[in-house]
Amino acid sequence: MDTGYGSGGDENANRTGEAPATVIDPSAEADEASVTESGTELERSIGLVGGLSVGVGTMIGAGIFVFPGLAAGQAGPAAAGSFAIGAVIALLVALPASELATAMPRSGGGYYFISRALGALPGAVVGISIWLGLVFATAFYLVGFGNYAAAVLAEAGVSLGGSGVVVPLALVFGVLLTGLNLFGTENAATLQNYVVGLLLTILVIFLGYGSLDALGVFGSASTPEQFMPFGPVPMFTTAALVFTSYLGFAQVATIAGDIKNPGRNLPVAMVGSVLIVGVLYVTTIFIATSAFGSAALSSFGETAIVEVARAFAGRFGAIAILLAGLLATVSSANASILSTSRAVFAVSKDALLPTVASRMNLKYGTPHVALAMGGGPTLVLIALGEVEVLAEVASFLHLVMYGLICVALVVMRRDEPEWYDPDFRVPAYPLIAIPGALASFGLIAFMQRASQIIGVAIMLAAAGWYKYYASDVSLKGVL
Amino acid sequence: MTDDLTIREPPKLLVPVRVLEGETLPETLVDFLAPAEIVVLGYHVLPEQTPTEQASMQFEERAQAAVDDVAHAFETAGRTVETRVAFTHDRDQTVARVAAEVDATATLLPNPAGEIEDVLVAIRGAIDTDRLADLVATLVGGSDRRVTVWGVAPDDGDFDIEAAVADARETLRERGVEADVLTTEVSASDRPVADIVERSNEFDVIVMGEGDAGLSSLLFGDESERVAEGAIAPVLIVRERHDEA
Repeated sequence: MDTGYGSGGDENANRTGEAPATVIDPSAEADEASVTESGTELERSIGLVGGLSVGVGTMIGAGIFVFPGLAAGQAGPAAAGSFAIGAVIALLVALPASELATAMPRSGGGYYFISRALGALPGAVVGISIWLGLVFATAFYLVGFGNYAAAVLAEAGVSLGGSGVVVPLALVFGVLLTGLNLFGTENAATLQNYVVGLLLTILVIFLGYGSLDALGVFGSASTPEQFMPFGPVPMFTTAALVFTSYLGFAQVATIAGDIKNPGRNLPVAMVGSVLIVGVLYVTTIFIATSAFGSAALSSFGETAIVEVARAFAGRFGAIAILLAGLLATVSSANASILSTSRAVFAVSKDALLPTVASRMNLKYGTPHVALAMGGGPTLVLIALGEVEVLAEVASFLHLVMYGLICVALVVMRRDEPEWYDPDFRVPAYPLIAIPGALASFGLIAFMQRASQIIGVAIMLAAAGWYKYYASDVSLKGVL
Repeated sequence: MTDDLTIREPPKLLVPVRVLEGETLPETLVDFLAPAEIVVLGYHVLPEQTPTEQASMQFEERAQAAVDDVAHAFETAGRTVETRVAFTHDRDQTVARVAAEVDATATLLPNPAGEIEDVLVAIRGAIDTDRLADLVATLVGGSDRRVTVWGVAPDDGDFDIEAAVADARETLRERGVEADVLTTEVSASDRPVADIVERSNEFDVIVMGEGDAGLSSLLFGDESERVAEGAIAPVLIVRERHDEA
């Protein structure tokens, strides 16, 4: 594999002569601030709550507000097991990602580890395809928002002419979110914390009440249904379907450069966010299948959870869950826009994309080019439709990155460079990283053929771009 | 200048400046502060969606140049100055960190200043009198600037404000501040912060302690910062002595 040690000797520059920028002096890394080579201090100001809110905020949407009906239809009550399997696989990747992030606490996350451990070509493929993957995911979340917003309007008795309002609502909100990030003097990330906090509050109340009800504390216990009506195999194939709802914990690492005390906060935020959403997902399925039985649940489709809430608390419950759905999709979309801009910055800083992409404007202090490279294509995709296929492509591209993160851990550990000094070390790392890589690549096999083809095409295009534009750039082992 | 032997600990002042927004210090304030050791911290606050690393790539040189300009003003007034440059999402966190790292005696909260003739030393509660006196004596020593020590605290008997003011006066005298420029006052007040802000137009510089982290500072932010926001004059916040062990 070409590791990026270009034939041009010490050139190390892309087609237009831009070289990777070395900003931070790796010897001056501290818990509270990094120091650049010319002595400027870069404050680390995002705490554990901020990190958790990026992880939970990105993930929380799909598992509760899209999948319960679909998963119960495929696996019966064992869908709860499918979500548990997903959580285990996510943990197998979150642990290696945590170790690499504490060794390299810089903006860019998965792209950064892979480019430093495996070289510029795999780095460029992951970096560019994650940019596009995040754009697809953002479009998917915004359409989800449009669906929930339309349902809220319908519930409130406002008629805007049927299903035609979903795309316009998604577009309007996409413009609003991008604008908030572009011009926001108020911190978009702080807003994110509040959105996630409110969402978790609603969900915990709903799930707490639902659990007590399902266990028979109020009224009669629900009829026990056979746990695996279709046998054990659908539990595993359903796990592949619902793994989409665990994409996002690695986004915590994209803000690693701004996280306080990264040695502790990065692992806790990544592993913690997987555990939090895992528990919420499994509980949701348990309650939903207890309330209705999986056949009825399946018939409600993607908004099954709203019907569950209606069964518990009438119209009020339905409205509360619709509101939670709005918050969940907004927080996922916003977290993805933020991650996109960081991903673009990390790749362009390394001269794999033109460095103009990391320009920012002084007036608003925001990275306007990178934000536009996230928000712009997102709006186009929403307007064109077809976002559901693209959502699976986004999963495909994330899974490739997750698998390579595990490979990167194995590579780093087998031949530890001098600079490699993570604060957090995965215990028995081969037993975590190797199954993590196999599971990540294995899930790709369960995807639709169309998604696989589009995903591979994007990766090939990214590799082609690297060969054309930046084949002399070398990144392996360069901190 | 005062006799150096009377100053126990040469005061070190942290001067934070929002460099990229063109903030500068009034010349009169530079002259007033110059007898102390100076650390200029040029900082730029970014929204959280912007990585600090990204901002530093583009604006680092500009920020360093702006800080050097501020430092140069102090050097003209006869001081060598330490400079720091920081990109941050949280101004208070950065100022507190740098103040602790350089072990600053006091932090400046800049406000516009004219000629500096009247200095208010506001005492609201327990304060490190030695540090306070070292600072004030270094800055006003040998000039004819007037110093008013004003004790302003709730009249609930928890704290002997009269004794604290007398102690501060005595320590200032020991450090070489002449009796004829020193005035003392004591007032009972349930809202000392608001009262200090109200009187800020009578003075050219305010010196005060950090204050305790009570309920109101949780709700409304640090008391001393509320003074700085409301006050017309620059404020010097004397830091608590943190045990360096």
